[in-house]
Amino acid sequence: MIAYVLRRLLWLPVLLLSVSLVTFSLGLYGPGDPVQVLLGQRADPELAERIRHEWGLDRPLSVQFAGYVWRALHGDFGASLVKYRGQPVGRLIGKRLLVTVQLNLVAIALGVAVGIPLGLAAALKKGSWIDHLARIVVIGGISIPGFVIAPILMFIFARQLRILPPGGWGGIFSLKIVMPALVLGKGPIAVFTRQVRANMLEVLPKDYIRTARAKGLPERMVVIGHALKNAFIPIFTILGLMLGGLVEGSFITETIFGIPGIGRLGFEAFWARDYPIIMALTLLVAVAYALANLAVDIGYGFLDPRIRYT
Amino acid sequence: MFGERRVWIIVIAVVVAGLLFSCIGGFGYLWYQGRGRLRVRPATPAPAATPKPGVTPAPKGATLNLPGADPPTLDPALTTDATSAEYIVEIFSGLVTLNSDMEVVPDIAKSWEVSEDGKVYTFHLRDDVKFHDGMPVTAHDFKYSIERACDPRTASPVADAYLGDIVGAKDKLKGLATEVSGVRVIDEHTLEIEIDAPKAYFLYNLTYPVAFVLDERNVERGGRTWTDHPNGTGPFRLAEYRLGEKIVLERNEHYYGEPKPALARVNYILAGGSAMTMYETGELDAVPVSLVDIERVMDPTNPLHKELTIARTLSTYYLGFNVNKPPFDDVKVRKAFNMAIDKQKIVDVVYKKTVPAANTILPPYFPNYKNEDLEGYPYDPEKAKGLIAESKYEDVSNFPDITLYITGRGGAPPRLIEAVVEMLKQNLGVEVSIQMTDWATFLMDLATGQYQMFSLGWIADYPDPYDFLDILFHSESVTNHTNYANPEVDHLLEEARVEQDPEKRMELYRKIEQMILDDAPWIPLLHGVDYWLTKPYVKGMIYPPIIIPRLKYVSVSK
Repeated sequence: MIAYVLRRLLWLPVLLLSVSLVTFSLGLYGPGDPVQVLLGQRADPELAERIRHEWGLDRPLSVQFAGYVWRALHGDFGASLVKYRGQPVGRLIGKRLLVTVQLNLVAIALGVAVGIPLGLAAALKKGSWIDHLARIVVIGGISIPGFVIAPILMFIFARQLRILPPGGWGGIFSLKIVMPALVLGKGPIAVFTRQVRANMLEVLPKDYIRTARAKGLPERMVVIGHALKNAFIPIFTILGLMLGGLVEGSFITETIFGIPGIGRLGFEAFWARDYPIIMALTLLVAVAYALANLAVDIGYGFLDPRIRYT
Repeated sequence: MFGERRVWIIVIAVVVAGLLFSCIGGFGYLWYQGRGRLRVRPATPAPAATPKPGVTPAPKGATLNLPGADPPTLDPALTTDATSAEYIVEIFSGLVTLNSDMEVVPDIAKSWEVSEDGKVYTFHLRDDVKFHDGMPVTAHDFKYSIERACDPRTASPVADAYLGDIVGAKDKLKGLATEVSGVRVIDEHTLEIEIDAPKAYFLYNLTYPVAFVLDERNVERGGRTWTDHPNGTGPFRLAEYRLGEKIVLERNEHYYGEPKPALARVNYILAGGSAMTMYETGELDAVPVSLVDIERVMDPTNPLHKELTIARTLSTYYLGFNVNKPPFDDVKVRKAFNMAIDKQKIVDVVYKKTVPAANTILPPYFPNYKNEDLEGYPYDPEKAKGLIAESKYEDVSNFPDITLYITGRGGAPPRLIEAVVEMLKQNLGVEVSIQMTDWATFLMDLATGQYQMFSLGWIADYPDPYDFLDILFHSESVTNHTNYANPEVDHLLEEARVEQDPEKRMELYRKIEQMILDDAPWIPLLHGVDYWLTKPYVKGMIYPPIIIPRLKYVSVSK
C-alpha cells in the first residue's frame, strides 16, 4: 500500500511540469499579452517593447520557462503583472483561496447533509411524495443556473425580508455565507440525491440484503449498514472529485454576492493575461485534483474489500 | 473481523486526509511564498491614538462608506486606470492639481513662473508640506520621484505620455541617459523643470499621479510591496488594505492644503455584492446606479429621485473606421454611414434617454472649450443613399464584406451594436457582421490595424482638447487607430500644442475638430454619463469627470 502511494506521488512532479509547460506556452503564444492590456488603448509599440524587455518576455520560451521553474522551486511564483502590479502571487491567492475553500466546503457539506438522506428516502419510498420531491430537487439543481437563483434569493431574503445580508464575506460561521452556499450547493445536492437514489435502488434488491433481513437484523441496520455502505462507492468517487474542485471558485456567484474568492481573481487574471496568476492557479488546480484522485483511490482500498493495492 | 464502525472511521479519516493533503499542500507553498502580511497595519500611529494590532479605534469625526474596486496598483508612477487613481489622489499629491472646475491650481507648489520662451517652469514649493510620518517635503523629493518614474526599471506605462515632454525624460526612459536633465533642484523649496517645447498643456500633465511626490526611504525600504505602507502627502492616509475586502483611508492630521478633510475615515467596500441593496440598507452612503435601476430612480415620484446626481464624463463612445480599408477608404461612404444612424432613437430606446447622443468628437461640456455649434451629421437616410451612389463604389453591392469588431465578455452583442447594425441594414441595405473578441485580443488586433470598423470609447485623462484630438487623430500618434492622416490637421495640431494664447488655442482646436468631423473617420454615438445616488446626510460629495482629490470636501452629518 505504501509503495503504491509513493509511486502515485512520484507522478506529481511530472504532472505539474507538463501542466505548467502547456499553460506557459499557451500564454506566450496565444493572442494578446499582458503588456498590451497594461497599456490599453495608448499602446506605444516602442514602450511596449521596452516593458516586455524589462519583464523578460522577449526571451525564448525555454529560457523563460526554465527561469519560472527554477524560481517556483524556491517558492517564488512571481508577482502579478497587470491586475495587481507588484503583489506577490502567493499573497494574492492565499487569502482568497481560504475563502473559496471554505465556501466550497459548506456547499459540499450541504450536498452531503441534504442530498444523501433525500436520496435514501426517495429510494426507500419509491413513488411517494418524497421521491417526487427528490426528482424536482435533482432537475432544478442541475438545470437552473446559479445566476438565476442568486438574484432571486437576494431579492427575497436581502431586499424584501431583510433577514440575510446582501453580500460580502464574514467567514464560515456568518450569515453572509447562507445564500452563496445555497447557490453553490444546489449542484452537489442534486448530484448526491440522484446518485444515492439510483445506487440504493440497484443495491436493495440484491441477495445479500434479503439475507440480512432474513437473519432478522433491524431494518435500519440493513439499510445503512449493508445497503448504503455498498452503494457508497460511486458516491465516494464523486465526493473525491468534488474535493479536488474545492479550489475552484465560481466567478458568477462571487461577483453577485461580493465574495473575495479565487473565481473572480482567476477570471480577471485570464482576461488581463496576467501570466503569473494564471500559472499559479492552474498548478493549484492540477495539484488539488491529483491529490483528491489519490485520496479517492486509497479510500477504495479500505471501502471495497475486493480492491487491494500492491 | 473488522467492525462496521472501524471501517467508517477509516473512510472518514481518508476523506479528511485527502482534504487536508490538498489544502495543506496548496496553502503551504502559498503561505511560504506570501509570507508578507496579507493585511496592512496602520503605517504610522496617529499622535492622538496608538492603534492596537487588529483594533483601530475610529478617530473623532464621521465615517463615509463607499463602494470600491481593488486597485491594480497604489504606486503613482504605475497608475494607468481610474480605479487606482481614485485612491492615489487622496493618499499622494504633487506640484499642482485640478479643482472641481477642472482648472489647474497650486498644490504642493504654491506658485510658479514660466520663462519667456515657455520652456522653463520654476516652481516654488510650500514650506509646510510633510509626509504622513511628519518628515518635510523638499524639491529633492520631487527630483527623486520624477527620476524614478522615468527609470526603465520602474517600467511605468505612463511616464512617456505625461513626463515625456521634460528634457531628458525620454532619453532616460530609453536607457540613453542616467538622469533627467530637465529637472533641477535650485534649493530646498525651488524646483525647475524644462520642457522641450513651449507646450501649453504641460501643467495638466503634472496633475497626473505619475508626477506625484514619493518618499525615497519609504519606497526603497519597502521593496516590491512598498505600497502596503505608503508615506504620502495627501489629505488621507492608507490605514488598512484587506485585499478583496476593504480599503480604509484616515484623515491626514498634518495635511497642508485647504480645506482640511472633515471626514475622519472613509471605508471602501471592495467585496462587491449588490451595491443598490447595500445602499438601501444603509451600508453604503453613495452608489452608482446601473441601467437596470435607472428608470426607477429617474421617476420623480420615487423618493430615491431626490438623492440622484447626474455626473457627466468627458467620454465619447464611437464606431471607428479604418480609413485605409475598403469600403471606408472613400470619405463619402463614411459620411453615408454617419447619416444612416439615428442616434437619438438609440438614446431613447436602448438607453432610455439616460445619455446624450454625440454629434461631435468631444463632449459639448468640455471645460473652456465650446463645440456645440460644430457641424456633425444629421440623420438623413435618403442623403446617405445618395452619397453612396456618388462614391467610387456607386452601390452597396460593390462593397466588400464588412465586419464590425467589438470587445466583450461573451454572450450577445450589446444592444447598441445590434441597433446600429439593424439601422445600417434598413437604411442602406448593408449587411454588417459582428465579431466579438476578448479585450486582450481586441487590443492586439487594434494595434496591428486589422479592423475595418470597430467599436470603442475614449475618456479624457485631463480636460484639454489635446487629449482627444491630438492623441487620437494626429497621423503619427500611436493611439490613432483609424489610420487617419490629414497633413493640414497635423499641422494645425502641432501649432496648437505650443500656442500660448488660450483663446487662439481653443479656436485652433475648434477648427481642427470641424475638419476631422468633415473627414468622418468616426461615427460618434454617445457621451458617457454616470448616475449616482448619495445619501442626504452626505454633504459636499462631487463626481467630477476627471479623478481629483474630492474626499476632503465631503462631510457627513447624521
